[in-house]
Amino acid sequence: MNDLKPRKDLLDIESLELDEIEYVLGNAVPFKQLFQRSVKKVPTLRGKTVLNLFYEPSTRTSSSFEVAANRMSADVTNFSVSSSSITKGESLLDTIETLQAMQSDYIVIRHQAAGVPNIVAKHTGASVINAGDGYHAHPTQALLDTMTFREVHPDYAGKRIAIIGDVLHSRVARSTSTLFNKQGIEVGVLGPGALIPEGRPDFMQRFQSWEDVFDWKPHAIYLLRVQMERQEGQFFPSIAEYHKMYGMNSDRLVSMRKLGAYLMHPGPVNRGVEVTDEAMGYEKSLISTQVENGIAVRMAVLHWLKPETQKD
Amino acid sequence: MRLFKNGKIASEAGPGLVEADVLVNDEGIILEVGPSLKEGDAEVTDCNGCVLVPGMFDLHVRGREPGHEHKETLRTCAEAALHGGITGLVLMPDTSPPIDSGNQLKSIQDRIAELGSIEMLQAGCLTKGRAGEELAGYSGLAALGVPMLTDSDKAISCPDLLRRCMEYARDFDLLVTSHCETPALAKAGVVNEGRLSYRLGLPGLPTISQEIAVERDLALARHTGVRLHLQQISTGMSLDAVRLSKRAGVRVSCEVSPHHLIFSEDDVTEYDTAFKIHPPLQKKEETEALLAGLLDDTIDVLASGHAPHTAFEKSADFGSAPWGASALETSVLAIYDRFIETGRFNWDLLIRKYSSAPRNLVGLDSISIESGRRANFFVFDPEAETVINRDYFRSKCSVTPFSGQSLKGAIREVLV
Repeated sequence: MNDLKPRKDLLDIESLELDEIEYVLGNAVPFKQLFQRSVKKVPTLRGKTVLNLFYEPSTRTSSSFEVAANRMSADVTNFSVSSSSITKGESLLDTIETLQAMQSDYIVIRHQAAGVPNIVAKHTGASVINAGDGYHAHPTQALLDTMTFREVHPDYAGKRIAIIGDVLHSRVARSTSTLFNKQGIEVGVLGPGALIPEGRPDFMQRFQSWEDVFDWKPHAIYLLRVQMERQEGQFFPSIAEYHKMYGMNSDRLVSMRKLGAYLMHPGPVNRGVEVTDEAMGYEKSLISTQVENGIAVRMAVLHWLKPETQKD
Repeated sequence: MRLFKNGKIASEAGPGLVEADVLVNDEGIILEVGPSLKEGDAEVTDCNGCVLVPGMFDLHVRGREPGHEHKETLRTCAEAALHGGITGLVLMPDTSPPIDSGNQLKSIQDRIAELGSIEMLQAGCLTKGRAGEELAGYSGLAALGVPMLTDSDKAISCPDLLRRCMEYARDFDLLVTSHCETPALAKAGVVNEGRLSYRLGLPGLPTISQEIAVERDLALARHTGVRLHLQQISTGMSLDAVRLSKRAGVRVSCEVSPHHLIFSEDDVTEYDTAFKIHPPLQKKEETEALLAGLLDDTIDVLASGHAPHTAFEKSADFGSAPWGASALETSVLAIYDRFIETGRFNWDLLIRKYSSAPRNLVGLDSISIESGRRANFFVFDPEAETVINRDYFRSKCSVTPFSGQSLKGAIREVLV
């Protein structure tokens, strides 16, 4: 039992209390242990329905939610809306009406416009889980990143993580850094000036070079995906130049190995851009652990949220 | 005949209010203003404690007719204006079709005359179809007495085109109005770039978008000698540029909206699209700079920027929802509530900035409450409170950042 305030939706990291974070991450551990058993399912959400509503193409996140919901014994409906087929924004209220009629208990939503999960949450009794909205938030990614980091650093407070790349257009950077900060983990960033926003929070210190990053002795290096499809202007000269300046190459791999730092990436990786083939094989890469923990964390989130659709 | 007894008369002459009765005949002419006037057979309105204020004139209003009658009509626009103490206004030409020729202007002027409501002047476009490519037909617009030229919220990207617009407008002594924005910088920005755009994960609109446009437009006005009016200024840097240009003799005026004086980016919470107002709300310190600019006369005019949309349109996500809010009915009340009641400034400043200056800019005389003049004033009860909710509005649009607030004062009656 727990004495948490019941929460309907997971929309961002900012609004989470520390005891809620502990509750979710704590429950994710036994869910993950389940994966080693022959029967990977628990009956917790039997009879409940989860709607996966993706307005942006995504295979990894939507599958992860689908697997998580299946392992909780919920019924899952996948509803993907290609963004070209809707008039941007205008049909949102109508879509919500449709969703209401489907009487889902949980709505997992990804949308290209920031704030859409908040609007949906306001109009439905179902629990809304934000699976990424614009540049705003990706809270389950932050939870799985924190779970992954805490597994390798159980004494995580005071540890350091360096986030590399496009912070401006990254909901992952926003949510993950906020959660790390809440956990007392220090956050540093490195990237082209135009992609490290002036408006970032004070806790996010900026480095000018990889040398500075390594001098800081980070315990993990978190490479962000270069969002080639999401940029509305030129922020750096070329992909080749990005790789040269900010990519994880052999030299930097040597420094990282010397430090014993872990490597993280939200996926999918652009090989040869953020990271070379060689670095992909790094022994302290946590990239596939992140994927595995994603399922456990999402199960824990489904378990935690309390839809206002259920009477029992 | 009507006799307004025991009111206090506000004027632009000074901060003091003069206690006097006002006698108005059936033709709407003020016959007498003075202490203890005889009632005779006049219908008496006891204004005990109320302030009589000359009607306001709003230089920046969207009536949405023709083409967007689902958002507002000239009739609802006029009703909303009167409800808010505004007895005259200038309509932006961002209608469908846009008002970019004498013929278009004539048809809307006929429509206004047919309505026979308040003083509504229709502005004309700077460029054909507001497309920013070719000059609109100024001679036809000028012949019909167009009050100003503006492409409304579409900035003209090309400095050469804007220069030619100004040079041609100068020949007709037309007022050119600029919506200061640099489209190449503004891009898809929807909130002030900085802390807010980071926190909400929305595309940011940098302040340099306005500041560069202000500098450019001032340079063009200095070069061409045209009369230039800058709409909806929102930063201290923009005001500094205006200050310098005024000192150098450039014929420039500028406006600020009550929204931008009162709200800052700190008020934009939870993706509430009522706060999606153009230009985007700025940092708190900018609102202070705007107030200073209003007090030192760098800012000449208060203008609401009334931009009505349907509740459905504004219910879209923050990025997709249209810019703007209902403003005609909240401007006077909000200015009273935040500035006059609190002693930051007095009625005389409001009358100068929201009645005389905008009237004079478009060639109209100032109005005042004096015998022999047409009655054009409202009765303001400073002791009352007005709750801003859906029921309060006469406009078709009740989307407002003041939603749910209770503002000090109430407009009891408007005479025009």
